[in-house]
Amino acid sequence: MELKATHVAVLETADATEARSVDALADDTGEPPESVAGAAFDLAERGLVDVTERVEETVELTAEGESYRDAGLPEVRLYRAARDVGATDAEAVPMGEVIGASDLGDAVDIALANYARKGYGVVDSGEVTADPDADPDDDAEAMALDAVAAGEAVDEDVLGDLERRNLVVVDEHTVRFVELTEDGVTALMEGVEATDAVGQVTPEMLSSGDWQDAEFAEYDVEADADVEYGGKEHVLRQTAERVKDVLVGMGFQEMDGPHADAEFWINDCLFMPQDHPARTHWDQFALDVPPMQDLPEDLMARVEHAHREGVGEDGDGYHSPWGEEMARGVDLRGHTTSLSMRYLSGHEVGELEPPERYFSVEKVYRNDTLDATHLLEFFQIEGWVMAEDLSVRDLMGTFEEFYAQFGITDIEFKPHYNPYTEPSFELFGEHPETGEVVEIGNSGLFREEVLEPLGVECDVMAWGLALERLLMLTHGFEDIRDVHGTLVDLDFLRDEEVVY
Amino acid sequence: MPVVDVDPDELRDLTGHQDKDDEELKDDLFALGLEFEGETEDGAFELEFAPDRLDRLSVEGVARSLRYQYGDDRGVYVPKVNDADWTIEVDDSVPDERPYVTGAVIRDVNLDDDALDSLIQLQEKLHATMGRKRAKGAIGIHDLTMLKGSAVERDDDAADAGETAADVGDDVRVSETNKSISYVGVEPDEDEFVPLDSDREMTPAEVLEEHATGREYADLVSGYERYPAIYDDLGLFSFPPVINGRRTEVSTDSRNLFVEMTGTDQWTIDKMLNVVCYALEARGATVEEVQVEYPDSGVYADDDLVDPGATLVRPNLDVDEKRVAHERIERVLGVALTAEEVVDLAERAGLDATPIDTATGEHPERARERAGSDLPDDPRGSIEGNQATTASADQDADVDAAPTVAGDLVYDVAIPPYRVDVLHALDVVDDLGRAYGFNELEPKSPNVSTTGGRHERSRLERAVRGQLVGLGFQDLLNFHMVAREDNYDRMHVAPADSASAADALGAEPPVTITEPYSEDYEMLRSWALPSLAMVLENNTHRSYPQDLAEIGLVAHVDPDEPTGVREERHVAAVLARADASYEDAKSRLQALARNFDVALETPPTEHPSFIDGRTATVVIDGEPAGVVGELHPKVLVEHDLEVPAVGFEFDLAALE
Repeated sequence: MELKATHVAVLETADATEARSVDALADDTGEPPESVAGAAFDLAERGLVDVTERVEETVELTAEGESYRDAGLPEVRLYRAARDVGATDAEAVPMGEVIGASDLGDAVDIALANYARKGYGVVDSGEVTADPDADPDDDAEAMALDAVAAGEAVDEDVLGDLERRNLVVVDEHTVRFVELTEDGVTALMEGVEATDAVGQVTPEMLSSGDWQDAEFAEYDVEADADVEYGGKEHVLRQTAERVKDVLVGMGFQEMDGPHADAEFWINDCLFMPQDHPARTHWDQFALDVPPMQDLPEDLMARVEHAHREGVGEDGDGYHSPWGEEMARGVDLRGHTTSLSMRYLSGHEVGELEPPERYFSVEKVYRNDTLDATHLLEFFQIEGWVMAEDLSVRDLMGTFEEFYAQFGITDIEFKPHYNPYTEPSFELFGEHPETGEVVEIGNSGLFREEVLEPLGVECDVMAWGLALERLLMLTHGFEDIRDVHGTLVDLDFLRDEEVVY
Repeated sequence: MPVVDVDPDELRDLTGHQDKDDEELKDDLFALGLEFEGETEDGAFELEFAPDRLDRLSVEGVARSLRYQYGDDRGVYVPKVNDADWTIEVDDSVPDERPYVTGAVIRDVNLDDDALDSLIQLQEKLHATMGRKRAKGAIGIHDLTMLKGSAVERDDDAADAGETAADVGDDVRVSETNKSISYVGVEPDEDEFVPLDSDREMTPAEVLEEHATGREYADLVSGYERYPAIYDDLGLFSFPPVINGRRTEVSTDSRNLFVEMTGTDQWTIDKMLNVVCYALEARGATVEEVQVEYPDSGVYADDDLVDPGATLVRPNLDVDEKRVAHERIERVLGVALTAEEVVDLAERAGLDATPIDTATGEHPERARERAGSDLPDDPRGSIEGNQATTASADQDADVDAAPTVAGDLVYDVAIPPYRVDVLHALDVVDDLGRAYGFNELEPKSPNVSTTGGRHERSRLERAVRGQLVGLGFQDLLNFHMVAREDNYDRMHVAPADSASAADALGAEPPVTITEPYSEDYEMLRSWALPSLAMVLENNTHRSYPQDLAEIGLVAHVDPDEPTGVREERHVAAVLARADASYEDAKSRLQALARNFDVALETPPTEHPSFIDGRTATVVIDGEPAGVVGELHPKVLVEHDLEVPAVGFEFDLAALE
């Protein structure tokens, strides 16, 4: 059998009757212990040696322990001093007198703390007694210090006391032992030799032509190699890219715009009444910056009119207050529909002529309660189609096409209510893995109260859903907090399957 | 979204469908848009629904919708009401902040425990939704027999009132009533009454301080000079919107009720009143009108909702009307319909539709006949029995190519007074679609062609991320909202007063959230490296090297931006490993610069997060864009790191 040189050395040094420690083998072979351990594990995998582990304890005196071993434990010295100045169990002596006689210095507190515990006497009201029956020469801790110094065994309880007093350090470490197996003995008897075959193809070998005579060492090609993670895109980002690919393929253009925006674009354009419950700090994040001045005045007037009076001949507005001040307040956007409003208004990329398709997959912010399925910031997939004469059936067809790309089929449309779309639908689809029917989005045709102020004279249908929800559906994740944010486990990202 | 608790047995009683089992009911409710969320301890369904159909906030309202769905009821229903016997006189002392009131008398109500529970629930749910937690509208329901009203003196007033035409759609049938109560404003400690759930007299001010309900709603009125109060001959009996008096408390023994509502908007409280009246009427009670007499002066002088001195008769059960074009219905639903079908769908939605041909001015009945004549013999008969077949047959026809009816056909659609959600003709179309069954519609792809594409910034970001991954970085995705401490303090960076005064990347002034969820999310991060440092901190138990990168949003306050917030995308990366050195970071930075064909310079600089002498400004094409260096040990220790880390961060736009 041919083995690497280190492996041969370890095999030859190991014993079939006695388990020898890695350190001992390292001494004998002259190889570093890490190499010996590595070789031992390799050999163990081939069944040639057994590797066993044992936890060993070493005890060493601390500097303080060492000093007490020389000078005596402080409480012992205190006792001797007390006896010297005449204290007995009946005769208490003033503390000052004892301390003066003891010459303990800084160790007085330590002495007092241990004095009574060990039965040398009582410290009370500034006076010290000393039990004449106590034997300072038989102090278990003092003797234990000597024993530790001599490397002898010490009673566990006493050792515990010393450790608490920080006089000794107890260190546990694992010692590995290597023993030849029967296969190992057989292999040795059959003969093992260190391979002198070529390990590495070198440039010299190539230029000299030596490679022609070389014998290449056989590798264990089945063994696991070192772990290499390499770079990888975040799994949620991969999903976002996948969604973008699908939407671009369906003819959608990507939108871009501010995360912090005026409530005007976020809510007022969407015909959300200003006293709508979702427009409080309970649902959205207001920012501590001045009101936004740069808003199109004519559009704002039309939006205000839609809110107050409605749109169309017999349209009604809301019976809710409306004020510019609120519209100019800057918030973190609660949906990327603020971008849709900016684009549809013509203020982002100029007036749009139907047909158009636009999308965005970007962050939105909501003041929700954090839990396994809710984050304060998440990615919203938003898409809309602008065309003459769009019907509910067009909307349904578009969404079926989109969701089918992610394996979600049999979409049901549950009539729903949004302030900004009518008709509106919550979308339900079948989970590709579990078969469960789950909510997958919200959709509808934009209301005339939204479109008319924006100057849009054709139909616009829109839908949105959380990217994280799509990810959880397609990956079966149960807690979104494991994926998104600084609490992410690197090994989770390293091990997660790539999305394509 | 609102949740309403509905006892399925009551639903069976009120719909008359005893044969429906629970599962059938749940399916029928889902079709209405009411989702079964669970059951209460008493076995009632907890039903969640979108906040448009607030008339469904009680079992009576849900039952009414089911009866339309089952076809038991058709068309608009308006209950008969008796003439007013009571008047609410509004005094000009009433608080300016809450000047509106409405009301109705309900007679011969049979309030068993279930009915009383339902009424209380409806009241609470209306408060929570339309009433905006009682701020916009608050409901008080009283036992009428406990009220004592004096006869109303009325001579000239009645004549004046008859001439007023308020904007809120009241009719002007003003009659002499016998009894009155008054809605007034009182000084906080002017008078006393015994509130509900109490056994002693308190002033309104004491209620706000000492009564549990008072404390809960104190914020609504604490800014008022005078508090709203309602009096009868015996004295103060209600302190809206906070609490009623105990004297008029409603119990299962109550047979006649006085319902009053106060608020900041007449339309809102009138609609809330309608919902309550319809619910009680569905249980067999009779609704009796109440007159509301507003004073000539006070806030009404410059009010566009109620004219000064107006007398309203409430509840206002006028039927609203919307005109809907036939063409619009077909366009939105994407199916061809006959006029007969539209009328049928409207009736099944609890509406009434009258067809009118605007071109000929034809009599509605004639138009209906003409439209119907285009149809097979019995168009209506097929709808209930074979709706799906009919629907798909219609969908095969091209709507535009073969209009079923003339393009000038419109409908005047009557909307019942309990509906609060019909603002536009489109809302009627939605109702018709629901009655038709949206899921009966066959999806199709829109026949329009567009070209797709990515935004330039998004393409750049993807390309740079691809390079980072190629250089071995694990891409990260962190939150934009962070703790101030994490963004500045733990990086040893101090925030500057202005962006121009910031002497180090990350030191720009924070965009803070006025009412954050918690201290962990109190500002937008001004740079991205703190997020990466936190990921390192949370993964010290994972194997090294840990090479992490992120391209993400950062922001700071900048008065020159339209929003006041400067938003940038930053490229940030760290390399944490036992032998990490400045060169590791610099070499990756060079690779990026090379791949995006930009000139990179790294003149030395100082940054409090990095080690002096091992820190440089990232200068791209001559413009400072970021920082690169070895993280300072104090930052490493702060994040419990036991290996060195190097990193860089710069503005993505520099690679454009």
